[in-house]
Amino acid sequence: MPDKTITVRATRFDPERDREPRMQSYEVPFTDESMVVLDALNHVKSHIDGSLSYRWSCRMGICGSCGMMVNGTPKLTCNAFLRDYWPRPVVVQPLNNFPIIRDLVIDMDDFMHKLKSIKPWIIRKQELPLGAGEHRQSNEQIDDFRQFSECINCMLCYAACPVYGLNNEFLGPAATALARRYNLDSRDQGLKERLPVLGEAEGIWECSFVGECSVVCPKGVDPAKAIQQTKLDTTMRFVLPYGNRE
Amino acid sequence: MTTEATTEATTEVPAAPREYRWRMPANWWTRNRHYFLYTVREFTALPLALWLLWLLVEIRRAGDGPARYAPHSSTAFVVFSVVVLAFALYHSYTFLTLAGTILHFKVLDRPVPARLIVLSQFAAWAAASVVVAFVLIWFAHE
Repeated sequence: MPDKTITVRATRFDPERDREPRMQSYEVPFTDESMVVLDALNHVKSHIDGSLSYRWSCRMGICGSCGMMVNGTPKLTCNAFLRDYWPRPVVVQPLNNFPIIRDLVIDMDDFMHKLKSIKPWIIRKQELPLGAGEHRQSNEQIDDFRQFSECINCMLCYAACPVYGLNNEFLGPAATALARRYNLDSRDQGLKERLPVLGEAEGIWECSFVGECSVVCPKGVDPAKAIQQTKLDTTMRFVLPYGNRE
Repeated sequence: MTTEATTEATTEVPAAPREYRWRMPANWWTRNRHYFLYTVREFTALPLALWLLWLLVEIRRAGDGPARYAPHSSTAFVVFSVVVLAFALYHSYTFLTLAGTILHFKVLDRPVPARLIVLSQFAAWAAASVVVAFVLIWFAHE
């Protein structure tokens, strides 16, 4: 057993036995300064307790699977270094604001439903034949939406959003950011199909601009900006003459 | 096809797994500095509204003659006004700072930097304050 260890306290919840989640502590060897929280969980799974359940995949901040609460903050566990917490214990919990299926695994059905509702794909009124060539864009046109296209659907923003925590009917940060990503895309013509979802009572107007979604985003997407700018744009469409014409 | 249908009919559908429903704790706004500052920002509207109500009462008293209008002689009103002023300044600061995130427009096909938008907002605020102060002082001397 190496000298240097770190205590990992993880949420455990067995839906067939437990009435509510409980915490369990594990001593994990801290052998390498580059170790992340996900490495510690994998050590627990491989060497201490194989029943611990959690999601992960790429280990490089791309897939968005390993989002969890680390010492109370939503983080990608593959991007949360143990050296930032040692010698204090690391407390790992499932993402806030979502139902817990087992241990650190949350039910993401609600988010997937909301993501689908904003149609996060390029909508054309009429598809051009392949022979007509590609849809060309300038660098400036790409810059308009590039930031919002970085979203990896990790749901950290939903875990950080108290508005979603208090009312899970709220469309939420990532879905709105992705809607804006496509609405700003010069190739897209689906604005009018997305507006009814964005503009309903539980859409953008439910947001009171806490801003924590943008603070925790691991990809620098700034969903709060997407929501506020969508509020402004939809208002201008309503107020300005000919605003609803395309 | 028939075999599949029969199999489906006789297969017991497993019960949906029981989930633990996460609930927002009542003290959520104390758990994070940003949440706390957000709550204070939203709360500032309440003392401002109370101050305006109080001012309306004082203005109504002015209907009984200038001598009846004397809010500045009430220590409670002065203290409350100072507290509300702090809230109003904080609210204005957050509102104008956030404008850089909300407003977005281009000049000569280039997006205007958020910092410049915020600076222009604060400059407009300062200019408006000077004009209002000038008008108030001017009428006080008249």
